[in-house]
Amino acid sequence: MIIQYVLILGLIAVLFKFLLTSTGSTAGAWKRIIGLLFIIAAVLAIIFPDELNNIAHSVGVGRGADLLTYLVALAVIGLYLSIHIKREQDQKNITTLTRRLAILESKHDKYHNDRQITDKN
Amino acid sequence: MIRKVVEEVFGQYPLVICINDGSTDNSSEEISKTPAILLEHAINLGQGAALQTGIDYALELQDVLYFVTFDADGQHSIKDIKTLITTLKESQVDVVLGSRFLGNTINMPPMKKVLLKAAILFTNFFSGVKLTDTHNGLRAFTRKFAKQLNITMPRMSHASEIIDKIGRGKWRYKEVPVTISYSEYSRAKGQSILNSVNITFDMLLSRILKR
Repeated sequence: MIIQYVLILGLIAVLFKFLLTSTGSTAGAWKRIIGLLFIIAAVLAIIFPDELNNIAHSVGVGRGADLLTYLVALAVIGLYLSIHIKREQDQKNITTLTRRLAILESKHDKYHNDRQITDKN
Repeated sequence: MIRKVVEEVFGQYPLVICINDGSTDNSSEEISKTPAILLEHAINLGQGAALQTGIDYALELQDVLYFVTFDADGQHSIKDIKTLITTLKESQVDVVLGSRFLGNTINMPPMKKVLLKAAILFTNFFSGVKLTDTHNGLRAFTRKFAKQLNITMPRMSHASEIIDKIGRGKWRYKEVPVTISYSEYSRAKGQSILNSVNITFDMLLSRILKR
């Protein structure tokens, strides 16, 4: 079926984009591995659609598509949590930087022609 | 207005630190005309972060022993600072908290009172302290307390965070009556009902993730 070719090409495109743009060391490596496995699994599921159904039946789910839906739902929740945690870390970093900058800048009085303050007690 | 407030405080106390949390009005310029130390956040981080920045700066000055947090929007009365510090020095406690319900409120919007009472019940229950006013910006504490205080909660959730820390660290505390007056300016800036949702969410989430 045409849809199979379309899906596989789409997944390969995603794979390349993913591999080329991921950054970071350890976490990045693991992400790449998981990403690769996911795409391989997806390609297999497209080539052997009946297999997905068989796996689904063996775990008590009616259709392959249903199983896929459940897995995707889990993945989305996990993704959201990981994004949230990362955002919080970023916010902490921003706060630290802003604080340091504020304290550093206070040593230069920019409202009076950059005169340096020596003793402001 | 802020310049007047700062100059009045300076009349009675030796060190005033003002934190501008990303405001783009002329506050900074006004403050720079006073002897106060001005710390400017390049971006808006929230009141909790602003307080922590001020505390960090003050802790670097070795001879600062007593810290007082004071809102510059006109809600707080300078006379109350004396009450706070005197109590702190004489009562053997680590932190003194202002309470508008032990003291006075002027022009408090009725809805605000309802919300506040609910917040107080909530905070008392979760933190284990017994306060009549858990969201009062007027506080005084010792250097020892200041050193371990690490405010990390965003937006306005820091009030609950501080109370929580007092409960968990079993710090000695005392409440004193203070006056909170609501002008049109401070009423416009006040906490909305929706913000209570934010604060509750932050507190619950931090408990779940045990941070």
